[in-house]
Amino acid sequence: MTSDLVVDSQIRGWVFLPIVVITFLVGILRHYISILFISQKKAEPQQLQDSQIIMRSRILRENGKYIPKSSFSSRRQFFNVEEGGYLTQKRAPVNQNMMTDPTMITDMLKGNITNVLPMIIIGGWINWMLSGFITTKVPFPLTLRFKPMLQRGIEQMHLDASWVSSASWYFLNVFGLRSIYTLVLGENNGADQSRHMQEQMSGAAVAMPTDSKVAFKSEWEALELAEHQWALHDIEQLVIQKPM
Amino acid sequence: MPATTIHRLIVTIGFLSLFHAAYSAAQHRSYLRLNELEFTHLPSDIIAQGIISLFVIMYGVMYVAGDFRDIKASADLENKSWESFRNVPSFYTFNHRGKAFSPTYVSITKSALDEAE
Amino acid sequence: MTKIKNDKNIAATAYNEAAIRNNLAVVEYCRTSMAALSGCTAGLLGLTGLNGAGFYIFAITGLWIMLLLKAGPNWKKYFISRRSLLTNGFFGQLFTYILCWTFLYGMVHVY
Repeated sequence: MTSDLVVDSQIRGWVFLPIVVITFLVGILRHYISILFISQKKAEPQQLQDSQIIMRSRILRENGKYIPKSSFSSRRQFFNVEEGGYLTQKRAPVNQNMMTDPTMITDMLKGNITNVLPMIIIGGWINWMLSGFITTKVPFPLTLRFKPMLQRGIEQMHLDASWVSSASWYFLNVFGLRSIYTLVLGENNGADQSRHMQEQMSGAAVAMPTDSKVAFKSEWEALELAEHQWALHDIEQLVIQKPM
Repeated sequence: MPATTIHRLIVTIGFLSLFHAAYSAAQHRSYLRLNELEFTHLPSDIIAQGIISLFVIMYGVMYVAGDFRDIKASADLENKSWESFRNVPSFYTFNHRGKAFSPTYVSITKSALDEAE
Repeated sequence: MTKIKNDKNIAATAYNEAAIRNNLAVVEYCRTSMAALSGCTAGLLGLTGLNGAGFYIFAITGLWIMLLLKAGPNWKKYFISRRSLLTNGFFGQLFTYILCWTFLYGMVHVY
């Protein structure tokens, strides 16, 4: 394959390689910084109890067919009885507002510091320092559609689409090194900023403070509707007939 | 077979070999360019070195990655002793009515709670 | 004990969830390394176009064979299906492969 363009080999040592190394090392650094900053979420006994109760109720709903109807009813009574049932008890409404809880704010701030700030600083620095170079060529032909994606920073109409500019090379690295981080740091590492961006886009529904009242209400409903179907009514026949 | 130092050594040697092959290829390219020759393909020894070192590294990485575990549920049971066999965490009971028989048990009834408040 | 075992053989085989996940994690680790390393090798060899895609298929198949060799003749002890070992995540690591391929190709052949 004849390359119609000869690129100065100084670019390799001073632009191409540094971008890879910087991106990689920043990812590693971010992983360790996020470990440093991480705040252990303290679980309150009340919340733990609530979640365990809900789990018990769910187990009862799923596996209730293996216990007699009377046992099932008495267990359901424990959860659902009008007065004193665990799921029907009155609770003070949890006012875990984002703005009133200072730990939430610090958590958010830490997340921003470790994730958004390096992206802006390093990205901006690389854009300022190392932009405008042709760094490499992808070893496969691409259509012209890829030109704005791969050649950010150099607007050359007649350049072949498979050449990659330095700014685009940086972004390719940011998104492509994810699995390498998994390899080096193990699963669930803090280095992965593209995953963080996805989380931010998908909305804050996941991070909503758990309101036990709502969960109790839905669980109460599900348990009320759960019908007891005795799964073992012909178990004697089955056991006798089964060849040992 | 657990990962040993031998496997890590294999991985290291493989990486060095791969790096050497890459360096040779770069040298070959610059040699061609200086002599203004057309690039057709790499010398076969570099190709062979690259592919062989790839598989050498993969052989090492496969043992560094870890061992497979038996996926049959009964495999775990075979290693258990009789004493620990009945230790089933899902069936732990912390809140049993039998505790009322304990001499240290303090009955908490609703009236007692009201008094406490 | 033997009775229970017989029962299990007659009915469905019970699998250990944690062990399955462990095996899948090991395979995933190998697959990611294979994608990165084969990408490096493809770039080193200066493969372009379809040759590179062919090399990826070659590498993944080679990894599959090596995994089966490691598991030994009784691979059924470790994996449920032999074919899904090959086909699962076939394209998942393609981006890693392309990145490494581009990187080494740039380092060796462009300059």
